[in-house]
Order: sequence, then structure tokens, then C-alpha cells
Amino acid sequence: MTLASTSRTLLRTAVAATLALALAGCATGAGTRSADATEEVNDPLEVPNRFIFAVNEAADVAIIRPAAEVYRAAFPDPVRSSVQNILRNLLAPLTIANELLQGDMQGAQLATGRFMTNTILGLGGVLDVATEAGIPYTYEDFGQTLAVWGVGEGPYIVLPLLGRSNLRDATGLAVDSAADPFRLWASGTGNTAAPYVRGSAAAVDHRSRILTEVDDLRRNSLDFYATARSLYRQQRAAEISDGKTAASTPEFPDFDTPATVPAR
Amino acid sequence: MLTRRSFLSSCAALLAFGSWALHPSFAQTADKGAAAFIEKLGNEAINAFSDKGTPRAQATSRFRDLLYQGFDVPYIGRWVLGRYWNQATPEQQQEYLQLFERMIVNTYADRFVEYSGETFRITGSRPEGESDTMVTTQIVRPSGGPPVAVDWRVRKRDNGYKIIDVVVEGVSMGVTQRQEFASVIQSNGGRIEGLLQALRQRTARPG
Repeated sequence: MTLASTSRTLLRTAVAATLALALAGCATGAGTRSADATEEVNDPLEVPNRFIFAVNEAADVAIIRPAAEVYRAAFPDPVRSSVQNILRNLLAPLTIANELLQGDMQGAQLATGRFMTNTILGLGGVLDVATEAGIPYTYEDFGQTLAVWGVGEGPYIVLPLLGRSNLRDATGLAVDSAADPFRLWASGTGNTAAPYVRGSAAAVDHRSRILTEVDDLRRNSLDFYATARSLYRQQRAAEISDGKTAASTPEFPDFDTPATVPAR
Repeated sequence: MLTRRSFLSSCAALLAFGSWALHPSFAQTADKGAAAFIEKLGNEAINAFSDKGTPRAQATSRFRDLLYQGFDVPYIGRWVLGRYWNQATPEQQQEYLQLFERMIVNTYADRFVEYSGETFRITGSRPEGESDTMVTTQIVRPSGGPPVAVDWRVRKRDNGYKIIDVVVEGVSMGVTQRQEFASVIQSNGGRIEGLLQALRQRTARPG
């Protein structure tokens, strides 16, 4: 891919992003606001979302979960750690860029230090030397950057295969993948399959780390779609605030009438 | 001229200030009793479930005891139902609380009974809301991997303390449950009976 066509792609994505966010702004403004923030779900597309969620679930049960189980059983822990390290290191340039865009200079510095350390001393990202040295892994994406810039999350969206998202984060994902150096390198050198290989590896690696958790949730949920939606929104909020105190803690009022203790 | 002693003492002052600035929560009044309460409860839980020879029924009843000792279960149940609590009849409220408790025991008892050597460490506490204390802990898994940040929202009650919410890596269990229950009620045309029906089915099957 030439430089000109790369910048055209970036420009197109940026224009699409701006349009999408303008729509998001309208959607948030027009959305009905419940008095109780913890019951607000902003999911006007719930019916199609539930359909795509069900399709994704089927794909997970039929393909992704079995693949993750095989992967976990076939490879010892150190190998799987290395795979995770490589995948994370490939995304490090995006984290650095987004730290800079968020104005987090310290975060950018640490992420750059991590990237250099792991690429050079960690044999191209195979070993996570930086964590050993006390620079913990962080993950930033353009969706988080938009949130730091004050963009609201917009309606909740379940994307085919990619899973849970919202208008802001889906926009962020489009911008991130357009700017992703690995993808640019792959298309520039004709390795068109490489991004898909990496994507599949990342999906299986991630899935293999949450096998029991997802099984538990599926088994214990009355409405798995609603649980997954709630978890996504809370996890994103925690990622955006970088693990600092939650942006909006719910109210826990003292109830006037004490609830009776149920019979045992 | 800066003498050696004054240099050292200014270093000490700087360090003291530095650590104060890093931990501003200590400047506020975080309830120390709350952290001690979590510490004690955590140790009791580890003691209760470390012995793998305990029969399952006995371990489950231990879990229930610890649950009531540590958590304000009726308060959490009522909070989780949100605005629908007031729309429920007293009979529905009563049945809901019973089903809620059974669901909690079913969901979490196994996880405690299958305790496999996790340890916890209290990392701090800070005031939360008007009268609560958030006790922050890290759970370390024996299998390795990064520790899990678990925060316990503790409220002072007449006879000690009770947990009213648990926040795992920024995810509130109370909020998650509340949004799920609200969704179940809404997809049943706003009727609480729909949730009760789902809870009855869910708690009827074992574990």
C-alpha cells in the first residue's frame, strides 16, 4: 500500500468516525434518561443486538470455545504466555499513540519503555521482561481516547464475531485498525492473511483465559445477554479511568423500612 | 550552609510528605474497623474452606453462616431489585428475598467449597458515599497470574459491620445483578412475577 492510499484510508476512517460520533451525540442527547443511573442501559438496538449476540454465542459454543480448550490443553503455560506477550507487543504502538492522544505523558513514556524493552531484551516480544522490571502492562485504544475527550458511549452494539461494543468503541476500533502499524505492514508487504491470523490467535488466546469464568456466568445468569451488557459497560468504564476510582458509584440509600430476614 | 543533619531531616520530611501525597485517603477518616472486619472475615473463610475433608452439606452450611455474618443479604436483595421493590406486594417481596438468598448460596457456595489456596491482602480503605468504607484487597491465585483487585463496600451496622457490595476489577456485583434483574422484569412486560418465575426455576435445580 502506498503512502498516499494509506493516508486516504486514514482520512476516510476519520471522516466516518466524525460522522458516527455526530450521530452518537444525537443519540445520547435524545435518549431517555432514567432517574436511576444504574438501570440505564442505552440499548435501543436491543432486538437486533440480542439476535447477533445469540449468533455469536453459537459460534463460541461450536468453534471458539472448543478451539480455546484445545489450545489450553495442547500448549504448556510458558508457550501460551509467550503467545500473549507477542500479541500484546504487536499492539503496543497503538497503546503508545493513544496514551499520547489522551495527554497521558507518563503513560506514553511507560508504554514506550515497555515496547522497547520487550522488543529488544524480550526477543521481539516473546518475553515480557518489562513486567518483571516493574513496568506493568496497560492497554489503551481509541475508544478510550474518545471517552477521555468527553465522547459519550452511545448506544450499545453487539458486533458480529467481534462481540460487545458501543457506537464510540466501534468507531475507536475502526480508527485503531486503520492506523495499526502491523496491519499497514501486512498490507504493504502483501501478507494479507497476517492480520486475520493475529486476530484469530488473539481471540483464542483471550478465550482460553476466561473458560471457567464464562461457563460460570452462563450457568448462573437468568439473562446472559443483560449480564454481558452490564459487565461490558462497567469494564470499559474501569479501563477508561485506568483502574482509578469508578467514575460513577451507585447510590446505596438507607431504606426506611428494614427488609425482613427471610426464613431459613 | 546545608548541614548533613538538616539535609537528612529535609529528606525525611520530603519522604513523609511524598507518602502522604501518594496516599491522600489516609488524610480522610477511613473507618479502620471496616478493614479489620474484612481481614477477620477473610481469614475465617479461608479457615472454613481449607479443610477438604468437610462433607459438602456441612461446607455449604458454613458458607451460609459466613454469608450472613459478613453480608447484609436482605439489604443487597432489596437494593438489587431497585425501583421494582416498591411495585411488589409484601408477599412477592418476601418470596423474592428467599429466592434471592437461595440463588446467592447456589451461585457462590461451590466456589468457596472448591477453595484452592487463594490468599488475600488488604491494600487500603477509603470513605465511600455518605457513610460507607471501601476496603480494597488483592486476591492472589495460587495458579499465578496477576492478582485480582476486589473492593468491599462496608456499612456500619448497630452490631458491627456488613458488606453491601463487592467490586471486582471495577465491576460491581450489585449493579450487574440489578441490571440483569431489571432486564428480566422488562422482558416480562414489567411484571415482577416474571423474575420470581425465573428465580424459582433457577434455584430449583441443584448448584
